[in-house]
Amino acid sequence: MSASTIYLTLFLYFIVGTIIARYARRKMGTGVNDFFLAGRTLGGIVAALTYSATTYSAFMLIGLAGFTYIGGVGALGFELIYLSGLVLVAFFGPRFWLAGKRYNYLTPTELLGDRYRSRAVSTVTSIASILFLIPYSAVQLTGIGALLEGISGGTVPFMAGVFIAALIAVYWTWTGGLRAVAWTDSLQGAMMLIVATASVFFVVYRGFGGFGTMFAQLETEYPAWLTVPGPGFFNINAFVGLTLPWFFFSLSNPQVSQRLFMPRSLGQMRIMVMGFLIFGFIYTLVSIFWGFSARLLLPNLETADSATPALLSLDLIPSAISLLVMLGISAAAISTINSIILTLSSMITRDVVKNLGRKVDDKKELMVGRIFVPLFTAVILVFATLRLDLIAALSVASSAGLLVMVPALFGAFFWKRGTAAAVLVSCIFGGSAATIFQYTGYYPLGLWPGVWSALISTTLFIGVSLVTKPPLEKAEEFIGYLQEELNTNKIL
Amino acid sequence: MSLKKQRLFWTALFLLMILASFIIPFTPLLSDLTSLYGAFLFWSVFAIIIIICLGLITAKWRNFDER
Repeated sequence: MSASTIYLTLFLYFIVGTIIARYARRKMGTGVNDFFLAGRTLGGIVAALTYSATTYSAFMLIGLAGFTYIGGVGALGFELIYLSGLVLVAFFGPRFWLAGKRYNYLTPTELLGDRYRSRAVSTVTSIASILFLIPYSAVQLTGIGALLEGISGGTVPFMAGVFIAALIAVYWTWTGGLRAVAWTDSLQGAMMLIVATASVFFVVYRGFGGFGTMFAQLETEYPAWLTVPGPGFFNINAFVGLTLPWFFFSLSNPQVSQRLFMPRSLGQMRIMVMGFLIFGFIYTLVSIFWGFSARLLLPNLETADSATPALLSLDLIPSAISLLVMLGISAAAISTINSIILTLSSMITRDVVKNLGRKVDDKKELMVGRIFVPLFTAVILVFATLRLDLIAALSVASSAGLLVMVPALFGAFFWKRGTAAAVLVSCIFGGSAATIFQYTGYYPLGLWPGVWSALISTTLFIGVSLVTKPPLEKAEEFIGYLQEELNTNKIL
Repeated sequence: MSLKKQRLFWTALFLLMILASFIIPFTPLLSDLTSLYGAFLFWSVFAIIIIICLGLITAKWRNFDER
């Protein structure tokens, strides 16, 4: 694919998104809630698409397809168990939404700080989120850089791809805040799904003659790929180590859990959840089919991550569709990065700067929040260009590291005995353990960092809570209010 | 069924299903079945059942809007 075609496509994509972002800006009111939460007025379909586009990054068509290529059907189990993690939203969704409205929470970490009556809790959990999500976003940018470089045969330099993606993400976010992010995410989400699904039909029907033949060929040539542990990649420890942190993704990742504050009603949140589940189920199957197709058609690839780019370079897919798949993968990454940038900006403004003690009014808070949008983008960009080992380790450790917030969230909504000291200790020690184990590659007892961070943070949260004093008055009021509202409306 | 019992029921059901989704594909029942009708079908059906359950649970969220 020529460099000029790629640049022109990205330029057109930028123009279309910019028109949407500028229109979103005209609808935007003033104030922090409007900029960061679209005034808590998102409709269900837009909410579902932004939830999907934020959750699903370039990992799906690159990383998950790669997992399938080397590990087989275990990749499907990993991703569908992750999707089933939405059962947590059945319990936490209405609670987040109700608490957000009543106490005017902007961020999930603000909720934790208020519930545990501790500014340190919101500050520490925000900083932990920032530490893990910046490397995660940087890896998304490097993914786009590598994809464009690969697909153009090196004529689009790595750095050009990285810069273009960062520029698109920051400009849309800066222009119209969450509303622009949500609307452009909707466009990007729809494109990701439609293009990926269409292209997999081309690959499967032109490459094998249909899904039945593809599976028959798999059964004959690569039977182990239809089982776990199968070829060995998904041994039980690896499977649990990968899957467990992702099962809790809907709670542990603030760019996703913040979206539980945004729908205009619980009915719209229902559309968000169900829409996401259907989106996720289809997108997962599509990514798995990419991986299986590559296994059969390109059995000698050197790296698993090159499965999708290599399939795109075959003659099976019309070049126009290949171009759109490239755009769809870039869109998946950009729609994840812009949501993270916005969430991190809201967290540093509300949970760090505001907690420093000086009085900040709504207008000033918004100004500070907006300044952090380009600042975070610049930091992510620098991290992406450094390509340090620690960044890769932190990115991989992000799901395991962010998992440490889950016990605190369970405590906030369901356990009056939970304390601020317990949240701090469990997050700091659990997060550090996840990072150290990931960086050093030392897996005690063969268990992965995510399993250790879950065990350490849960044990510490319960243990320290039992020996420290809980904010009982707030716990009674907070949980009592939610129970009353939920019971009145017969909601779980 | 009272709301408290419903909460217990769904929590127990989800716990059971999720544990099964980790364990069953690794047991000889499925780990030796080199076919589309093995782990692939198991996890796909598991996800569809979860989606249906969530559809049932979240149906009540609409009550809140009608108040």
